Amino acid sequence: MAEVAGKNKKRRPMALGDRLFDYANYTFLTLLMVVTLYPFLNTLAVSLNDANDSIKGGIYVWPREWTLDNYKYVLAEATIFHATMISVLRTVIGTVATVFCSAMVAYTISRQEFVLRKFVTVAFILTMYINGGLIPNFLLIRDLGLIDSFWVYIWPGLIGVFNLIIIRSFIEGLPESILESARIDGAGEYRNFFHIVLPLCTPVLATVALFTGVYQWNQWFDVFLYNSSNIDLSTLQYELQKILQNSNASMSAKSAGDAFASAGSQDANAVTPFSIRATMTIAASLPIIMVYPFLQKYFVKGMTVGGVKG
Amino acid sequence: MENNTAGIPATGAIAKKPAGMARFFKLLLQQRALVVMSVPFLIWLFIFKYMPMWGWTIAFQKYKPALGFWEQEWAGLTHFRFLFEDERFIRVLRNTLAMSGINLVLGFVTAIALALLLNEVRKVMFKRVVQTVSYLPHFISWVVAAGIIQSTLSPDGIINELLMKAGFIKEGVLFLGIPEYFWTIFGAGTVWKDVGWNTIVYLAAMTMIDPAQYEAAEMDGAGRFKRMWHITLPGIKPVIVVLLIMNIGYLMESGFEPQYLLGNGMNVDYSENLDIFVLKYGIAQSNFSLSIAAGMFKTVVSFILLFVANNVSKRLGEARLY
Amino acid sequence: MKKKSMVLVVTVMMLFSVVAAACSSGNGGNTEGGNAGSGASGGANNAAGGEEKTQEKATFTIFNGAGAAKDVNTNETTIGKLLEDQTGVNFKLENLVGDLNTKIGTMIASNKYPDAAIDEVLGAGAFIDLTDLIEQHGPNIKRVYGPYFNQMKAEDGKIYFLPFSNVVGEYNPDPNINQGAFWVQRRVLKEAGYPQIKTMDEYFKLIEDYVAKHPDEDLTGFVSLTHDWRFFATTNPPMHLMGYPNDGEVTVDMNTFEAKTYSASDATKRWLQKLSELNAKGLFDKASFVDNYDQYLAKLTSGKVLGFFDYGWQIGNAQNVLKDAAKKDPAKDDFVYFPLPVTFDGEKDQYLDPPGFVKNRGIGITVSAKDPARIVQYFDNLLKEENQILKSWGIKGETYEVDENGRFYRTAEQIAKIDEAFREEFGFKYYDWNWPNYGTNSTLADGNAYAPGLQPEVFQMSLTEADKTILDKYGVRTYAELFAAPDERPWFPAWGIPKEQGSEPQMYETKKTELTRKYFPKLVLASPAEFESVWAEYMGEFGKLDTAGYEKFMTDEIKKLVEQAK
Repeated sequence: MAEVAGKNKKRRPMALGDRLFDYANYTFLTLLMVVTLYPFLNTLAVSLNDANDSIKGGIYVWPREWTLDNYKYVLAEATIFHATMISVLRTVIGTVATVFCSAMVAYTISRQEFVLRKFVTVAFILTMYINGGLIPNFLLIRDLGLIDSFWVYIWPGLIGVFNLIIIRSFIEGLPESILESARIDGAGEYRNFFHIVLPLCTPVLATVALFTGVYQWNQWFDVFLYNSSNIDLSTLQYELQKILQNSNASMSAKSAGDAFASAGSQDANAVTPFSIRATMTIAASLPIIMVYPFLQKYFVKGMTVGGVKG
Repeated sequence: MENNTAGIPATGAIAKKPAGMARFFKLLLQQRALVVMSVPFLIWLFIFKYMPMWGWTIAFQKYKPALGFWEQEWAGLTHFRFLFEDERFIRVLRNTLAMSGINLVLGFVTAIALALLLNEVRKVMFKRVVQTVSYLPHFISWVVAAGIIQSTLSPDGIINELLMKAGFIKEGVLFLGIPEYFWTIFGAGTVWKDVGWNTIVYLAAMTMIDPAQYEAAEMDGAGRFKRMWHITLPGIKPVIVVLLIMNIGYLMESGFEPQYLLGNGMNVDYSENLDIFVLKYGIAQSNFSLSIAAGMFKTVVSFILLFVANNVSKRLGEARLY
Repeated sequence: MKKKSMVLVVTVMMLFSVVAAACSSGNGGNTEGGNAGSGASGGANNAAGGEEKTQEKATFTIFNGAGAAKDVNTNETTIGKLLEDQTGVNFKLENLVGDLNTKIGTMIASNKYPDAAIDEVLGAGAFIDLTDLIEQHGPNIKRVYGPYFNQMKAEDGKIYFLPFSNVVGEYNPDPNINQGAFWVQRRVLKEAGYPQIKTMDEYFKLIEDYVAKHPDEDLTGFVSLTHDWRFFATTNPPMHLMGYPNDGEVTVDMNTFEAKTYSASDATKRWLQKLSELNAKGLFDKASFVDNYDQYLAKLTSGKVLGFFDYGWQIGNAQNVLKDAAKKDPAKDDFVYFPLPVTFDGEKDQYLDPPGFVKNRGIGITVSAKDPARIVQYFDNLLKEENQILKSWGIKGETYEVDENGRFYRTAEQIAKIDEAFREEFGFKYYDWNWPNYGTNSTLADGNAYAPGLQPEVFQMSLTEADKTILDKYGVRTYAELFAAPDERPWFPAWGIPKEQGSEPQMYETKKTELTRKYFPKLVLASPAEFESVWAEYMGEFGKLDTAGYEKFMTDEIKKLVEQAK
C-alpha cells in the first residue's frame, strides 16, 4: 500500500478532488475515533475512580478521585492468576484448533469437483440455524464425559460455520492459476492445502483467528454450565463475573446482611457493581485487544497475491 | 480433478452422475484425500450439533427436567399456540424483524463503507490506529455500553445539552421514552459498537485484490471513487454476498441485550422482541418447552429466508452459500 | 504475608501444570484434568471413607442460588475453622454466577447435585426429607425451628429445607430502616421546623414549599425508581399508603384474610394522580421512567433530589455516600435522607415488616449428598447458641466486648477493624445468612440482640451528632421508632408464598407487571385532564387479567398459613 502510494507521488501530483477526498476522509475517521474511543476511555476513567465517588455519576474521560482500589479488589482474588492461565490456554488451543480444522474443511468444500461438497456444505450451514436447546446439549456434554474437563472449551466450538464459509470464499477467490500450477506439479491435496492454500490464506486465517480468539477469551457461559464447581478450570471471565455478582449481591443484599455488616460502622461502600463492571471490562479486554495490532500486519493490501506473483 | 473454476456452478461429479452409485464411489475413492479431510468433521458435526436435536420434542411436551424422556407429559401444540395466539406476538415479531433488518442494512453499509474509507488511507500508522480504536467498543459489554447510551441520551446528557445550546429544543427530550425513536437508537448503538469489528473481515478480503488492478486503473486516469466502485467493491463482492445470505438467515435473531437493557415501560411497544418475550414467559418461568418452540419457529423462518436469499443470489449470478 | 503468597503462586502453578498435563495428553474424552484438580483441592475428601467417626474430616459442597459471596472453603475462615474443629466438616461454597433457572434445569435434568443447596426452585425430587434426620441428630434444630415445623412442611407433609427467617426469643426490631419509607432530605425538614409528616398531601406539600422557596437551586421534587425488576419501588407505594406492610402484589384483610390486589384500585389511582399532579407542577422527574439504577443512585447522591419512595436496602449505596460526606463535613448532613411513615390520610402506618417467616427459601440436602447425617449434625452444631454468637458477633475480646451488665458491644477500634476484607477473612460474610440460623430479629437467651446491628448499644454508637439531633427533634432514639409497631400477620410476607413455575398465579404476576410498566408512565406523564381517559384505558387492559383467580389463590394460601400458625 505505502509502496503504491509512493509510486503515485512520483508519477504526478494528486488531483484536487483526491486531496479533498483525503481531507474529508481523515476528518471523518478522526471523528469516528473520538466516538469509538469514548466508551473505552469512560470505562477506564470509572475503573480508576473511587467507587464511592463514582456513584455520583458525571465521570467522563478523566477520573475525579484517582484510585487503584478497584483493580486491587478485582485482581487480589487468589483465583485470578490461575484463571487467566486457563483463559490463555483455551484461547491458544481453541484458536489454533479452530483455525486449522475450519481451514481444512473449507478447503474441501471449495473444491468444485469434490463429490461430497454440497452435502458437507449444507450439513454445516444448517447447524447455524438450529439448536436442540440447553438441556439436550448439556446432557450430551455429560454423556461425552466432558463435564469438569478442559476439553469442553474446545470440542463443542471446534468449527464455526461462519468462519468456515469465510475461509471457503477466500480460497475460491484465489487466482486459479496458482492452484493450477501446483496441480501440474503433481502436488497432492495435502501438499496443496498445507503448502499453497494455507500460506495464501493468511489474511483470512488471521481474521478467523481473531474472531475465535476473542470468542474463546470472552466465553464464560460454558464454564458456568459445565465447570462451575471446578475452580481449577475456571477462566478469567468467569472469575470476573463472580466478582461482579458478588458485589451486586452484597450491595442489594435483601438478606439481613446489613444488620451484620453495618454492625455500628457505616462503612462507605468499598466496591460497587458500577465500578467493578468498569474495572473488569478493562482488565478482561486489554489483553485481547492487544492482539489486534499484531494481526494487522497480515491485512496489508496486496501482500498475498503480490507475494506469490513476485 | 478437472475443474476448479471458482464461481461457476458445479460441473463436477454430482452434476454428471451418469453411472450412479458405482461412479460415485469410484470418485469418492479417487478423492479420498478430501474425504479424509472432511468426513471426521462431519462426525463431529453430527455428534455435537445434530444429536441434541432430539430436544425439539421438548416443544411438544410439558417438559419437566426431572423426568426421563418416556415419562414426559405430551402437550401437543400448546406451546406453539401460546406463542402465536398471544396478542403481543405480531408486535413482538414486527419489532424483531424491524430491528434485525435495521441491523442488517446498517451493519453492512457502515462496515463496508468504513472498510473502503480505511482502504483509501495512505498513512499506515493512522490506518492502524483507526482500525484498533474503532474496534474497541466491541469489547465493552452491552451492560456498560447501554449505561453510556442511557446517560448520553438522558435529559441532562450531552445530546440534549447540545440541542438546547443550538436552540433546537427548549427542554430535555426523553429520547428513550419516545417509542418511535427506539429503533433508531438501537441501530445507531449497534453500529457504534460493532462497525469497527465488522470491518475486519472486509479489510481481510481486500488483501486479495491484485494491486496491479489499481495501478492499471490509475494509468487510465480513474479517480478514487471509480477505483472504489470498479475495483475494490467488486473485489470483495463474493464475501459480501455470502455474508449477506448468512445474515438474512439470521433475521429472526435481532439480539437480546441491547433491547433488554435499553427497553423500559415507555418504549416497550417498540423494544420488546421475540427473545425478550421468550425470556419472560419461557426461561424466567423454567418453561423450557416454550423456549424450544420459539427456537423451532425461528429455525423454520431462517431456513425459508436462507433458501430464498441463496436462490435469488444464484439467479443473479452472484456467489452462493451452498 | 510474602511467604503466603509464594505458597499460593507455587500451588497455582502446580494446579496449572496438572491441567496442562491433562491437556497435552490430547485425548478427547479425557477428564483427568478435572479429577486431578478437584482431588488436589479437597484431599481431605478422599480420607473420609469407611467407618463413621465424627472427627473424620469431610468436605461437602453447598450451592447457593442467590450468589451472595465468593466461592471459598469454609475452613479457610476463622469461624469455619472453629466449626470444622468441632465437627470435622468443611463446606465448599459454590455461588451461582449465571442464570438460576438454567443452572437448576441442568442439575435436575442430569440428576446431579451438590450435597446441599440453597434455593426455592429445587424442592421435592432434589431435596431429601429432613424429618427423620432432625429427629435423630437435631436437638438444636428442633429447639430453633420447632415452632415453625408446621409451616415448613411441604404439601406432602415432609420437610425439605430449613428457612432462614425464624425468630428465636423476643422479636427485636431493626433500628435502621431497611424497609420502605418516603424519604426526604433533612434540610427540608430542618427548614420547615421538623414538622410531623403523616399524610401524603403533607409530604408533597413539604417538598413543594421547599422548591418554591428555592427556585434557583435547580431542585427536583420527587423521583421514582422504575428500572427493570426494581420497578416495584414505583408500584408498591399505594399498599403502604393504605397502611399495609409489603405483602407484594396484595393487601390482606386483618379479619377475613382476603387477599386483594391493588394495582388497579382507587389507591393506585390516587397515588398516580398525585404523581401526575406533581409532574404538571414540574416537581416530578420525568426521567424516572427511563433512568437505570445507576442513574437513579447518582441523582440521589447529587443533593438535588428532595424526596422519593424506596426500600432502605435499595438505596444503601447512595445513603452511604451521603453519610460519608456528612461525616467529613457536617453541613452536608442536609442532604442525607430521612425516612417518614407517610400514609394517605394519616392511617396507622405498617411500613415495618412484621415478624415474618419467609418459607420459600432455605437450605436443603440433596439426593446426591454423600453423608446427609454429617451435614445435619453440622447444622445442628451451628445452631447451638454459642455458635450463633460466634457467627454473628465473633470472638469475645476480638470482635466484641461484654460490659458489666452482660451487654454485648463493639469498641470503636473493633468497628473500624471489621471492614469488608475482615468480614471475608473472619467468615462473617459467609455465615451471615444462608445457613440454618436464628432469624435476624432474634434475641439471645441473655437478652442481647442476635445481630450486632440490631443491638441498641451498637446502633447508638453509629449515630453522628446530626443523626442524634434530628432523632431528638422527633422524640425517638431509633429510626424504627418513627414508625408504628407492626401488627401480627402470621402469613407475612405474602410475596413469599411459593408459586409453581409457570403456574397461573406466576403468569398473572408477569402480565400484571408488564401492564403496569407500560401504563404507569403514561398515567403519570399524562396531563391532569387526560388522566381519566388513560386510566380508563388501563382499566380496560387490566380487566383482561384473571385477577379474581389470582386473589383466590392468594387468599387460600394465606388462610392455610394462618391455620398452620395457630
